[in-house]
Amino acid sequence: MTKLGMVIDKRRCIGCQACANACKMQNNVPMGMLWNRVLTDGTDIVDGAFGVYPNLNRSYTPVACQHCENPACQKVCPTGATYKDDKGRVEIDYDKCIGCRMCMAACPYNARSFNWEEPVRDPDFNYGGKDVPVRPKGVAEKCTMCQERTDKGEEPMCVKSCPTKARVFGDLDDPNSEISKKISEKNAYTLLPEQGTRPQVHYYN
Amino acid sequence: MTTLFKKPAFIVLVVLAVVGIACWIYQLLTGLGITGMSNANSWGLYIIMFMLFVGLSAGGLIVASSASVFHIKRFKAVAMPAVILSTACICVAGMFVLIDVGGIQRIWWMLISPNFTSPLLWDMCVIILYLVINILYLVFMSSKKEGAEHKVEIISRFALPIAILVHSITAWIFGLQIAKEGWYTAILAPIFVASAMDSGLALLLCVLSGLNKSGKFKTDKDLMATLSGLLCACIAVDAFFIGCEVLTMAYPGAGGADTLAIMLSGSMAPFFWFEVIGGLVIPFCILVFAKNRKSAALVVTSSVLVILGVLCKRIWLLLTAFAVPNLEGAPGVALGTFAAQEGGAATWNMYGLYVPTIPEIFITIGAISVGAIIFWAIAQKLLISSKEPQASDSVDSQIGSEASAIA
Repeated sequence: MTKLGMVIDKRRCIGCQACANACKMQNNVPMGMLWNRVLTDGTDIVDGAFGVYPNLNRSYTPVACQHCENPACQKVCPTGATYKDDKGRVEIDYDKCIGCRMCMAACPYNARSFNWEEPVRDPDFNYGGKDVPVRPKGVAEKCTMCQERTDKGEEPMCVKSCPTKARVFGDLDDPNSEISKKISEKNAYTLLPEQGTRPQVHYYN
Repeated sequence: MTTLFKKPAFIVLVVLAVVGIACWIYQLLTGLGITGMSNANSWGLYIIMFMLFVGLSAGGLIVASSASVFHIKRFKAVAMPAVILSTACICVAGMFVLIDVGGIQRIWWMLISPNFTSPLLWDMCVIILYLVINILYLVFMSSKKEGAEHKVEIISRFALPIAILVHSITAWIFGLQIAKEGWYTAILAPIFVASAMDSGLALLLCVLSGLNKSGKFKTDKDLMATLSGLLCACIAVDAFFIGCEVLTMAYPGAGGADTLAIMLSGSMAPFFWFEVIGGLVIPFCILVFAKNRKSAALVVTSSVLVILGVLCKRIWLLLTAFAVPNLEGAPGVALGTFAAQEGGAATWNMYGLYVPTIPEIFITIGAISVGAIIFWAIAQKLLISSKEPQASDSVDSQIGSEASAIA
């Protein structure tokens, strides 16, 4: 089995937002939402610091869908629009989404966005990859781990665009993959482990 | 039906319903962006009202079916208005779910591609079942055929457990979500059953008082007092459950205490404290005295307070959960709203903020008006046109005059 995942080196993340923008472009994400957010830790100011002067620190946590092994969103979806695919990714069948937003209530990571109205794009055309589906109003959407790219064996756009190579993408089921080695070597952790979702996106410091 | 259109109050309801439907059509065309909801606070007034009306529908069916299941003969006298009320309320609850979904044109996927692990799917099934039972109940009760009485007996044995289940499953939509600290508790289903019992009984008492006042349907004064006593007991149970939950949240001083702070002293404090004082303490203190239970004015006042208290509870229960995201960090959540589409600072929020918009409120009032029309129309057919024999005139006229006094 393949279980696609990602590991993010927080020491390398410089908060440049390149992954957030690359994701938005690749996946045709409309204005007013992002599939991939780069959060500045411990502060309410973007690029702010945490701690008490002079002991200040600054770090970032890029957050998108965690492609959980035990996805809360998939469990609660009444139509099965959200599903776990054969490569271990959590995906959405937009045709089946009735827009009940049960998944948004269930996701502990606020990874999902809803099309509250007709999507607006600036510039005003579908700038996403040509095989990326265009979502109508009234459906939920989120990171697909670049389904269209990873199906072809390419890396997700956030991984490709990261200038500091903070992200590694690969198969968690393969013990010899770079990602599996990194996770065990670096003692990587997952976000909100107490939620029991078992994310396939890992982080290390 | 035609006689109803001669009544000004009925015409007002129809106007409100039409305005609500117009706003709903506007919402269908424009999207849920016309509401106050966002990616940070993804459920709002519609789901609050859904919870409230599922609960309100309880009182009626539970009183009516207890009459048969526990052989409480006196309750049979009000079984008909109780079940009509229950039917109207569950219709309103169902409407609110449909109003809340973003893609109603794709709703048939729930039937052809059901995911049985979803509490929302369980809820759809149990609400449909509940509605069917209510309708069958009405059909059997109004039937004059031989054996109809026996059919009522049988269906009531199903009605009672289904009524309990409908509230439990509605609670599980929320209570099974580990992501939301304020919801994830085993006591949520018992709390929902208890608040369904007290708000449902309170609404039933208000409606019976109204019917008494109008002189269309008389309820024995002793029976009103008994139902008020039952209401008082339900308030106490509800308060006990909420007390258990609050203590469990507070005691470890961990994550639950932060959530509790939002309720006790944060943005949800007005709703929480109104519920505790106005919705539980005051009505309990009034109704605990037998003398007060004989006064229609005090019973109606307590009932209205209980319903408002339960409404406040739905508000704090829903919104507290969205107030602080589990993963905090600047700039927060991209909201996805109309304002967010413009870009800039309006795109983001660190916390879940929610204020309902005007169209959202009109849609809500419209849906409730449709419920009132349903109640009125069925009551006109089954209640008022048929002569109810159980009235004892002297007592009723007394209640009637007291009800007029408060009006």
